[in-house]
Amino acid sequence: MKKEILTSKHTGDSCIHVNHKSGLDIYICEMPGFSGVKALFGTDYGSVDTTFKVAADTEYTTVPMGIAHFLEHKLFENEDCGVFELYAATGAAGNAFTSFDKTCYLFSCSKNYTENLKILLDFVQKPFFTKENVDKEQGIIGQEIQMTNDNPEWRVLFNMLKCMYHNHPVKIDIAGTAESIAQINAELLYKCYDTFYNLNNMTLAIAGNINADEVLAICDEMLRPCEDKGLETFFPDEPLTVVEHEIRERQPVGAPIFQLGFKCAPCGGYELLKKNLTAAAACAVICDTSSEMYQKLLSGGVINSSFGFDVFCGDGYFAVIFGGESESPETVRDEILGEISRIKANGVDKKLFSRIKKETYGMSIRELNNVDAVAALMLNSGMNGVKPYDSIDIISELTSGDVLDFIRNELSEDRLVLSIIDRTEEMIQS
Amino acid sequence: MNYKRKIIGENIGFSTVTDEKFNTCHLNIRLITELSDDTAAANAIAMGCLVYSNSRLKTLKEMSEQLSSLYGASVSSSVSKRGDLQIAGFSASWICNRFALENEDIDGKMFEIIGDCLFRPNIADGGFESEAFRINRKELLDRIDAELNDKRSYTITQASKIAFAGEPAENPESGTRASAEAVTPRSAYEAYLKLLESAQIEIFFVAPAENSNVEKLFSDSFSQIKRVSRDYPFRSVSPVKPQPENVSEEIDVRQCKIALTFKSDSDDSEALTLLSAIYGGTPVSKLFANVRERLSLCYYCACRYNKSKNVIMVDCGVEKNNIGKASEEILRQLDEIRQGNIAEAEIQSALLALENSCISVGDTPYSYVSWYFERFCCGEIKTPSEYFESLRGVTKDRLIKAAASLKLDSTYHMLNKETAQ
Repeated sequence: MKKEILTSKHTGDSCIHVNHKSGLDIYICEMPGFSGVKALFGTDYGSVDTTFKVAADTEYTTVPMGIAHFLEHKLFENEDCGVFELYAATGAAGNAFTSFDKTCYLFSCSKNYTENLKILLDFVQKPFFTKENVDKEQGIIGQEIQMTNDNPEWRVLFNMLKCMYHNHPVKIDIAGTAESIAQINAELLYKCYDTFYNLNNMTLAIAGNINADEVLAICDEMLRPCEDKGLETFFPDEPLTVVEHEIRERQPVGAPIFQLGFKCAPCGGYELLKKNLTAAAACAVICDTSSEMYQKLLSGGVINSSFGFDVFCGDGYFAVIFGGESESPETVRDEILGEISRIKANGVDKKLFSRIKKETYGMSIRELNNVDAVAALMLNSGMNGVKPYDSIDIISELTSGDVLDFIRNELSEDRLVLSIIDRTEEMIQS
Repeated sequence: MNYKRKIIGENIGFSTVTDEKFNTCHLNIRLITELSDDTAAANAIAMGCLVYSNSRLKTLKEMSEQLSSLYGASVSSSVSKRGDLQIAGFSASWICNRFALENEDIDGKMFEIIGDCLFRPNIADGGFESEAFRINRKELLDRIDAELNDKRSYTITQASKIAFAGEPAENPESGTRASAEAVTPRSAYEAYLKLLESAQIEIFFVAPAENSNVEKLFSDSFSQIKRVSRDYPFRSVSPVKPQPENVSEEIDVRQCKIALTFKSDSDDSEALTLLSAIYGGTPVSKLFANVRERLSLCYYCACRYNKSKNVIMVDCGVEKNNIGKASEEILRQLDEIRQGNIAEAEIQSALLALENSCISVGDTPYSYVSWYFERFCCGEIKTPSEYFESLRGVTKDRLIKAAASLKLDSTYHMLNKETAQ
């Protein structure tokens, strides 16, 4: 077992990283003065991981879309009772989520954290899938899919991804479709579980009112050593070109919304973190509230305070996305393209860049003072193969030249997709 | 942690929470007034104008540049509804001076900005400066239009309108589109001046150390304003309709949604709080365990207790063919409680969940503000532990009586086109 203390040279914050003998990476942050505890137990397995094999397999296996999310639901049922019932006896709030590239099980509590940690580590290592409990979940997940289909924010994103990616499974809804989840059975769930829920492929992060020695003692007791099976996931070749530049769907919305995405080259590890932070700084440079472009769009009534940006990245995909409500998304697209051209020609405003760096530093100070945020930071860093405080170091060393390079190399019109959710005819008439 | 509250002007409470674990300072001011369609939109637009610019930072550009240079400090406004009242809020947050990389006095600069925003706003021709006003009125109109974008919250809003028809609480928290369109720069500013003069005001400052400059800022500023204020009722129980009212609306959605509003005439708010948790407030509640897990009818089915109106509202997203089945089960589970079919384990798990949320108060600056404001509205300042003890004192008999007091007042159904009848 390898144990190291990681410290931020900029803020003095620190946490413990343990590479546990079971194969699990563990991050622990004791936060004196706080009452709450947040724990996240995650596997590097998301909706995009639909084709995979381990070293012993001769061929790749492809499973139905939405199975990672389905598995997440089903892991909440033990042989004897539901996991929610176990947490109910301690008072913890337990939950889970599946994203494109990870599945996480979590709890937050203010009492009994040792018991809760045992529950978490136990049920995630103890799958129980049967035909009956798989069939029962079809209805619940079917309704979840219907709910997200009525969510314009969800639709605008997936429509955009569908136009941006030719082959990469990131274009598929995380929960799958009614048809794809109908193909899921207990055997397939066990196959996925045995492949991805290997402790060598997982990370535990826990922060708040805890004692590191107690946490490690529980890990020693509960974690069952895993053999590293040489997991490989397969992603089809994905060109940098997009499928379509524009997509429009009508929904019963009161205010039309849009997302404007630029497809960028994917990467991994430390390079991904650096590119992520550089991209965020580039977006801020382009559409900071103090910028001329922002003022013009706001003053002209083209955007409102819902306008913002996001960096969207993971295994084999990377995009920057601008979005919000607008009656005229095409104008936003044209103005953003104009601003990008201007920056490419004139460079990045040094004063603006300096303010953005200060803002980002302030955000890190806040993040490190929040139990939930610290736990999430440690988990995400661990799963991405970087250290929790690397981002502050990268930000402090980031230059306006780095940002300009990103804008020049990655933000081009031919890799742009505009996705719009517009009102239905009926909504327009009313 | 150290909590103190004092009166610094007529009907103006000033609370400080000092907790050395925080890296940030947080200021929040709440202006409490009646909720009326005549004033709700003007108040909402006014609050937006306050954080857009002020008499010194005259444009959004200047305001944004100043805040970002202070390490991403923020000023923001909000408008919310509590029972029959409107609460107009102003917040500011910034990192402590000790984290400044160039020894800037962030505290001092933020006090200047806060003072300018609240007491020296950007005024022209007797009203808010036209650009600030225009942008903020549009912002409000856009918010009103976008209400339908989130189908679940739209369902709750529609259900509230039906349940509270004829009461101030039927009004949207930020007014209607028509009332927002009627607001002018002058009427918005006059509405704000009226708030400063007559609103019941609670101010909160949460920081790692005390700072007397904050209290001074507010006591000095309010001493210049002639205040004529009254206490507002934070609780206004809503009378149940003689017959349940059922309203359906057809929208081109894939999933139907239902909301059921139950009203109570009981004064036992602790019992209703615990009842709500047992009925539909946790992942082991009766609604979750039966409507979702046992019958697989939905992804969510939950309830919330609105103490101000003494109402429990249940909402659920459900397939068209299952609306009847889900509604029956929602009613049946309430009947189960009325008949005393509540396991001790259900009571204990609800109590533990409530205790968990009580203990975690204090882990963020905002949680302190929410807690102490809630206690102020309830008329007694209690610590989270003291409050939890009062919940623990609720007996099964009180739960049964609380459930018996709940009467179905109204239902709202969002139906997709095929299900419209």
